[in-house]
Parts: sequence; structure tokens; C-alpha cells
Amino acid sequence: MDPVLTKHIGEPNAQTLDFSLQHGAYAGLRKALGMAPDEIIDWVKKSGLRGRGGAGFPTGMKWGFVPKDSPKAKYLCVNADESEPGTFKDHVLMERNPHLFFEGCVIACRAIRAKVCYIYIRGEFYHLQRVLETELARAYEAGFVGANILGSGEHVDIYIHRGAGAYEAGEETALIESLEGKRAQPRLKPPFPAVVGLYGCPTVVNNVETLCNVPLIFDRGWEWYAGIGPDKNTGPKLYCVSGHVNRPGVYEADMSVTLRQLIYDYAGGIPGGRQLKAVIPGGSSTNVLPADKIDVAASFDGLVQAGSMLGSAGIIVMDETTSMVWVAKNLLHFYEHESCGKCTPCREGTDWLYKILSKVERGEGELRDLGLLFSVADNIGGKTLCPFGDAVVPPVASTLQHFREDYETHVRVGRPPLPPWRAQEELIGAH
Amino acid sequence: METVALTIDGKSVTVEKGKTVLQAAIESGIKVPYYCYHPGLGIDGSCRVCLVKIEKMPKLQVSCSVVAAEGMVVQTETPEVVQARAGVFEFLLINHPLDCPVCDKGGECPLQDFSYAFGPKGSRMEFARRVFDGEGVRADVDFGPTLMLNRNRCILCTRCVRFMRDVDGDAQIGIADRGYGSEIATFKEEGVHSLLSGNLMDVCPVGAITTREYRFKSRPWDNPTAVDTICTLCEKGCNTTVWLKAKPEWAKGAQLARITPRYNPEVNGYWMCDIGRFRLAWIESEARLSQPLVREGNDAQTATTWDHALDTLKRLVGAHGSEHLRFLLSAHASHEEMFALSRLARQLLGDRAQQSCTVSWAASVKSQPEHTTFSVPPIDAPNVAGARLLGLTSVPVGEAEPDLSALRAAVEAGEVRVLYVLDPGPSGSLGDTAWIVDARQSGRIASLVLQGVLESPLAAAADVVLPGACFVEKEACYTNGQGRLQATARAIPPPGQALDDCSIIVRVAAALGRPLDYRSAADIRADIAATRSDEPGLQGIADMAFAQPVATHHWLEASNPMERWKWDVMFQDLPPVKFEEMLKK
Repeated sequence: MDPVLTKHIGEPNAQTLDFSLQHGAYAGLRKALGMAPDEIIDWVKKSGLRGRGGAGFPTGMKWGFVPKDSPKAKYLCVNADESEPGTFKDHVLMERNPHLFFEGCVIACRAIRAKVCYIYIRGEFYHLQRVLETELARAYEAGFVGANILGSGEHVDIYIHRGAGAYEAGEETALIESLEGKRAQPRLKPPFPAVVGLYGCPTVVNNVETLCNVPLIFDRGWEWYAGIGPDKNTGPKLYCVSGHVNRPGVYEADMSVTLRQLIYDYAGGIPGGRQLKAVIPGGSSTNVLPADKIDVAASFDGLVQAGSMLGSAGIIVMDETTSMVWVAKNLLHFYEHESCGKCTPCREGTDWLYKILSKVERGEGELRDLGLLFSVADNIGGKTLCPFGDAVVPPVASTLQHFREDYETHVRVGRPPLPPWRAQEELIGAH
Repeated sequence: METVALTIDGKSVTVEKGKTVLQAAIESGIKVPYYCYHPGLGIDGSCRVCLVKIEKMPKLQVSCSVVAAEGMVVQTETPEVVQARAGVFEFLLINHPLDCPVCDKGGECPLQDFSYAFGPKGSRMEFARRVFDGEGVRADVDFGPTLMLNRNRCILCTRCVRFMRDVDGDAQIGIADRGYGSEIATFKEEGVHSLLSGNLMDVCPVGAITTREYRFKSRPWDNPTAVDTICTLCEKGCNTTVWLKAKPEWAKGAQLARITPRYNPEVNGYWMCDIGRFRLAWIESEARLSQPLVREGNDAQTATTWDHALDTLKRLVGAHGSEHLRFLLSAHASHEEMFALSRLARQLLGDRAQQSCTVSWAASVKSQPEHTTFSVPPIDAPNVAGARLLGLTSVPVGEAEPDLSALRAAVEAGEVRVLYVLDPGPSGSLGDTAWIVDARQSGRIASLVLQGVLESPLAAAADVVLPGACFVEKEACYTNGQGRLQATARAIPPPGQALDDCSIIVRVAAALGRPLDYRSAADIRADIAATRSDEPGLQGIADMAFAQPVATHHWLEASNPMERWKWDVMFQDLPPVKFEEMLKK
């Protein structure tokens, strides 16, 4: 398919209002302003749009959970805290196509009857804050945001809030806590944010890419949108391909694309003619897939069938030189560092896992440590307050499941396993 | 009350609608562990030990945050639950120092109890434990003027954080850093400065927050007796429990180990203030008056017998005539004492009895955060409302200071020859007494009689000192600031020859030739009930029940079903150590 979201991102000044207007920006908004909020939600439901943040929850349904007759204010919070290792799609959209993003925010606000939208951007995204603020000022000036938008009487204010750099702030309730000026720690659910969210009011938290999809549904019609990609996995999708590939980057495709196509066609294959060893298909919190499982559709449902998840579509490609023990240790270092510390299993367990993995990686491990790793990971998964705990398990459990040999080599030999061609070299050297 | 019925471990349980599964389990005696939940602090959902299996829910649920629903089927003992729970307990202990032998909480520690009951058999942790401020007791750091903090022991349940935020009203405690490095901290390590700080020790489910006052003083198994009583240090009348240390005669130190709050939703909830909790050293101090004292002429006071002291009192009153007798009562005096003394005054002075009695107390404004949910009232006496009911003071409700103007004027005018002071309260409970000492020394008051409990300048100036009993040494009734009639209990005997204040008043009356027909304090209460049957605030005083000392495990069983296991299994009585035999070897 032709790129829709990222069509112009490589062109100079693509982020400016003038450029965007020349290429059809705010056309979807004009149509949506002529529609009732319920009708907007209905269109989004019919389009089949699923949240691009990780869980793939139907966006229209999420908006529908906001109580219509609540006397309280409603809020839209945009999760622009893109921190999942291997993920860098939202930041491209915000940097190069901010007006599409603002357009989506205003339509979403109209749908859920919110007057205020907070964009929570990651602490490290200082350069994006500058772009967003410049362009937001222009959108205000041109009457696309603010009071009486395009003469419709609709009023939406957008505020940009830069976080302090915590991964946990990407969890929706932690994001709300952080916006309220508290520690970025998750809240108990229920109540869900749709009922009790920011400042105790009904709140929708949406991902940037999700909102960027919204204007397309109105600009070109939900039928057009629903026709892209396989059933129940509709619309254009951004994939972040990184790791051992020749052309790492953000690629747009419909969700019938396979992992193999993304790695070998879009990202240009693996450098040096080396063999693929493993792929993490959806950011670090998803199960690793071994090389023989890449002929699956990179869609929400396709990857679940393959035993993993689309997650944030952060595809991390690893070739045969990679030690999966090192991968797990490296990721657990991240999780240990980013655990918010609120609940017991995650706070204590991530550190313990990291220590065991470091020990195994140093070559000081024993075989019983592998069982311990599995057991500790199992004691974290499903027992924590927020999905962070569940995200810790895949790097450990799936690498152990598919690459137990790597672990055993670390334990036996005290160093990483070598790729076949290196092992051959070694054999020759030994003679 | 709307209720819902659910099944927990096959047992049908009916609870009030809106309660959580954990509350339902606790109410029905089903053992589910918990740390971050506290009935006075609400739900946090962060400790994750109260995991249960609920039918139709795919994952295990934390029972503290699931509202009980009609027909819900809950399992707390399936292999899945048992294993998951043990996993969380293993996490809680991998970095806990396990220094229970030197920890004040040891023996009454929910982390100990629940880990034994629900935790794994052993730990698989082989790495060095996390250390914040040092190892062992060096890790104990100052946490304000009343508390000590040991971060190594902390399990980050955040009960202390929530107590300070929600109850105290000043969020002094927070969590610094995050994740594995999270630690309980105060701004600039200033520690907790609050009138309610002692409650932090109560809510802490481990030995992370301990009080300096109780530090290394006793162990739970050394406090085998507990008595439910009330605090009398202000007009709030917090319900409390007094813990008594078992100690042989020759052992030094106090028997009164500590005072802790006792739940009463109408009065103090789960809490009490630091004044009532920590101000207890005076009760068994060397400064207690333990025998009658008399002064002959200008000599020093000498210890004497009750008979001689009462003879002296009779002689002094006789010398000046009872019409020049005045009474000054502390509002620490109970209903029984006030009533008996005012009846004696009536017998001696007839119609002028009303003017002859003055009630005094101390008042101090407590500095507390504006939004505190537990405010400590300014009146530092338990029975000002009672004095009002008995017609002994006309100071209106809302006025914190006593009115001594009439008594002072009479003393200045030289109309008071004998002043009889009754003060069973701690030092300072009468407010300023320097003017009385001055009046006695300058001769404006010819004779001063003090019925009290503590050495003081006033006691030193008195001609006759009659040693009485303080609030933990007698059964007595008080009316708190809300108008609620409450009673203290007799936890320990008064020191030396000191007597219950009611019986002193009866003896004084007999000595003055105006005997009161009371054989016990119960007779006085019956008399109050009979003569003041029209007063709603005194209803039920004749039938007042007084708590008796009970074995601590009974108290714990009654107050918290989760404690039962500990006392049934862990603390079996050990044979007494025979010191004589040890010395022979």
C-alpha cells in the first residue's frame, strides 16, 4: 500500500501548517465537526481502528466507555511517552506530521465531549516539544484548535506536557498520576480512566499513532479505512525495525505484511549475509520469536497466533552472533531500572532476575539458575498492579523457551555460544 | 443494611454491600494476609500478598481491591493461590534483613507471622541484600523526635505515607527514588514532626518504624497482660490499651510497658496522639507520692501513717473552722471523686458548698496541620465536661481556660484558711499553681492539703499530702468533650501506701466527723445515678463496666482474628528460668 501517515515525512518543512494544508490536513476535522459525537464514535467503531499503543484495544469502544451524561469535565490524554525499547514511530509522526496529530486530538475531543487535551510527551523529547509548540501555536492561530474551531462552536484546548523520563509514565494510570503532578505510579483498576481518570474525571488515554489514524477515517470514509489490511486488523500501521538490519527505520504498511517482508524487503535484510536468529516483534515486552517463525502477518491477531504480540510494533532483529542471555540481561537491566517500585513482585523480582541473568551471562551460573529464572519470572507475571510485571516475563521466559541452548552454553562454557561459522573457525584453531 | 452473600473457601459469608473480598474474609475469620491495606488507611493494592482466586476471573485477584459481589465464589487455598502467594512472600523477604532478634517489632510483626503462615519454606536468594543506611542496628536512623527508621526492613507498603497524607494532613513522608531503590524518606531527612507520629509505629507492618520511647524496652512475650482503658490526658478520651510487662519484684524499670490506641469509631478511630502514647514515664516514676506526708509548724515534711495524716488534717480544719475551707479540684478528678468531694463540701458548708468548689485544668493549643482528620483538643483534662454536668464549673462549652477568679479573689481577701486540692493528674494539670504556693508561704492560706499523685512545688508547700491514684490505677468514670461517658480500668496498683482517691475522700470525711456512707466507688456511682437521674449525660453510670486485665493473647484474639494463629502456635509458654539453680553452678 501507499504510505498515508508517513507519505511526506521525508520532504522539507513537512511539519509546517502550510505544507500540511497543501496536502489535505484538517479535511477530516471539517467533516467530523459536522457530525454528532456519537456518530463520530460510530464511524471509528466501524473503521475497526485498534489502539496502536500496545494492547490493540478497539478505539471506538474505548471512547464509548466515557459516560455521556456525567456532569464532570472530560479529558483526552495523549500517551506520547513512547519509551518501549525498540519503538520510535510516534516520535516520527509528532516531528514530521504534527498537524495530522492535532487534527486527531480535536476529533477525539469532540467524540468524547472533552474540552481539554493533554499531550504527555516523554521527558527526553525536548526537540519534539519545540516542534509541537511551534506548530500548535500556528494551529491555534489558524483556528483549528482553541475556541470556536472553524466556526463550529467546538472548543478544544491542547496542552503539551513533558514528562520527567520514566518508562512507567507510559502506563495510562501512571501517566494520569504524573500529569497530576504525582509520582508516575499506576493506580488500581477499576475504576478505569474512562470513568475516573485525570482529576477524578472521565478520561481517555490514546496513543499518538492511534489519533493520527482518526482524521483518515473521516477524510476518506470508514469504508476506505476498514478496507485496508486483514479483517479486524485494519488501517495503515507503522513498524519500527531496528537491530541487525541494513536499513533500520520506520516503515508504513498494512497489517497483512509479514515479519519476513519487513525484515528482508523493507529493512533490507541482515548485514554481512549473516543468518537471522530471533525477532522481538512488538517492543521489548513481547515474546521473542525464533527465525523459523517470521512468516506470519505482523498484525495484532497474526502475532498472537504466532505466540507473541504486535505490541508497539517495535521489531528488534537479532542475527546469529547475538547471545540471547545477553539480550535478556540487557532488557532486564532496563526493566530493573524502570520499575516504579510500587508493588512487590515487580520491585523485588526485576532486580533479582537481573542479578541472576548477570551471573549466568558472566559464566558463573549453574543449571538450577535456569529453573530459578523461570520460576521468578512466573512469580512476577500476572501478580502485579499494572502490566509492567507482565512485560518483564517475555524477555526471560521466551528466550529460555526458544534458546535454552544459549543459556546452557553460558553455564557450561562460561561464554556466549558462537554462530556456526565461528564455531567452525574455533574447531580449526583447536587442531 | 444491604448485604451480599458470597462463598469463600466453601463457607458462606454475608457482608455489608460495598465491602471488599478481603474485608469479608477478615470478618469471617478466613486467613488472608495483607500489608498495604489498613482499615483506617484504605486500599492501595501494592503489596500483592492478598491474592485469591475468584471464579470467572482469569487472573488471580488481590482481594483488597475486589468488591464482594452476590454469588461470588472465592478460593484462598487452591494450589495456584498458595504458590503465587508464597512467591510474593519470597519477594518480600529477599531483601529483608531478618534481624528479628534485635527488632522491636519481633514477635508481633505481621511480616513474621504471615511469612511463617503463608511464605515459602526457604529463600532461593543468594545475592547480597539491599542495604540503605548500613547493616544491623546501624541502619536505624533518626526519623524525627519520636521515631527511628530502618529502611532495610521496609517493605514499602506506604501505610506511613498514606497515614501522614490522609490522617495527619501533612504529607511529610514520601518515597524517594524508584523501583528497587525506592526508600521511605522525609524532606531533607528532617524526620517526622507530628503530634500523631506514634501511630506510624502501629501502622508499620514491619520493624521499619519504631518508637524511641519503647525502644529495646520490652518484647511482646514479656508483656503478657493487657488492659483496655481510656487516655485521660485530654478531653478527647481516646480508647487505649495499656500493656503490662511481666517482671519479678527485683527487676528495675516500669511495669507499664506502653500504651496503644484501641479502635473506637465514635471517639478516636484507630489512632491516638503522641501525648497520650508517650507520656507515661511519670506514672511509675520516683516522683510519685507514695506515702502520706505532714508538716508540723515550719519543719520539713515527714512521712507518716494515714491515721496520723488524717488526724493532722482534722486538727487543721478544726483550728480554722470548716467555713473557711475551700476545695480546688483538678478536672483530672473522676465523676466519683468530684461527686464525693462536693457531697463532703455540702455536709461541711451547707448552702455555701457550691461556691467552695473550684475546678481547674490546663489548656494548650496543639499545633496540627489544617486538614488533619484527627485533631487533639486544647483542654488537657479528661473530665471538664463531667465537672460541668455535676455543676462544679460554669465555664461554657468551647471555652478552653478554667475560671479561677473567684477562688483567687477569696485567697487574696484572706477568706480561705484551709485549701484542699485534689489533683490525680500529671504535673501541670492544674495549670499555674505558683500563686497558691505563694499564698501558703505568705500565710494568706493558713493550711494547704494536697491529695495528689506527683511531687510538685504545690505538694512541697502542703501541710498534709495524701497520696492518691492516677488513671491507670483505679476504676473511674469521665465524660469526654463529646459528652460520652467512659471509664478507665485498674491496670496496676497505686504505689506504696497510696490509695484510690474515692477511698481517701471517704476517709477524710470520716476524719472530719461527716462520714459519707460509701463503701466503694460503686456506691458513689449508684448515688450519682440516683440523685442525677434526670441528667442524660450520666445515664448508665451505675452500671458502668470496667475492663479487667486480660492475657494479651485474649486481647489480640478479640481485636484481630488474624493474630490467633500466632498465639496458638508460636508463643507456647516456656518453662521459667530458675535463677537459683543457675547461680549454684
